[in-house]
Amino acid sequence: MRVDPLKKSIWVFHLNTGSCNACDIEILDALTPYFDVERFGIKLVASPRHADLVLLTGPITRKTLPKVINALRAVPRPRYVLAIGACAVGGGIWYDTYSVIGGVEELKKILEENGIEIDRIVYVPGCPARPEAIIYGVAVLLGLVEQKVHGEVKIAE
Amino acid sequence: MSLKKLLKPFKLISIARRSGVVTVLYPYQKSLITTEFRGKISIDATKCMGCGACVNACPPNALTLSRRDDTIILNYFIGRCIFCGRCAEVCPVGAITVTHEFELASTSTRDLNESLVHRIERCSGCGGGLGATSRMLQYVILHSPASENYVHLCPDCRKKKLIQSLAMKMGARTEDYEG
Repeated sequence: MRVDPLKKSIWVFHLNTGSCNACDIEILDALTPYFDVERFGIKLVASPRHADLVLLTGPITRKTLPKVINALRAVPRPRYVLAIGACAVGGGIWYDTYSVIGGVEELKKILEENGIEIDRIVYVPGCPARPEAIIYGVAVLLGLVEQKVHGEVKIAE
Repeated sequence: MSLKKLLKPFKLISIARRSGVVTVLYPYQKSLITTEFRGKISIDATKCMGCGACVNACPPNALTLSRRDDTIILNYFIGRCIFCGRCAEVCPVGAITVTHEFELASTSTRDLNESLVHRIERCSGCGGGLGATSRMLQYVILHSPASENYVHLCPDCRKKKLIQSLAMKMGARTEDYEG
């Protein structure tokens, strides 16, 4: 299925999957007048059915997994996910704990089994991620800026 | 009462005027980071000796050390890093520095991996793998110069050398060992 890219303002849905609330506070900081993301047209909505982008925080605990799948299924295509914080990106401190899935990488495999496709995922590291980093992540997602980090292999002679 | 209600917007305007604009114009304005801010770490490839002190100190195992064939690979996964700066604190040679970089968003986790490949030094006696890099050996020699004679040998060759030298002291001849 071909999905048209976004042309208008993006609406975001905030999805906490068992995070410690630090990333959630940073998201709220980005939404409030101090960083004021509404000047870019980014708006918080209460339902995933209205959202273009899901702001996912936390390492995805086993308890929240069914709810996360339901919420992501409700998002209309194109379906974008912004994984915010060390937990969402790679599992963080809890990457190998029994009670968590361990980040969006693992979630992607489970979603594929359930037939849910995600069109684009952008990873925003940070513990917690700064509000500026979240805004930068959205800009990377929309293709407005080039990403700065590239995986590199250095050799010590 | 009605006049008060009518004048309410004007009152708000005066309050807004007094407080001014607080919004940070992030992409166009310098970000609010201080000098103590800890962002991504950078590993200096010319200083790092692959000892793994940072790997022991790292709370979320963002830094991992793996050995493959003749190399020691130090991998830094930014996605799991909590930016505590402990690695920079424990590094014995000061190869790790904490930068102010925080714009690390990427479209794949592969871009968030940085690795540093070290070559393992060979035993000067038998030619087997030593498990240490040449910079590690230099560091050991620098801190205890007495070890310079046997630091390039593997444990087995070291034992052989010790026994041989003891036997020589007790009066054995070299020919006994050659055959």
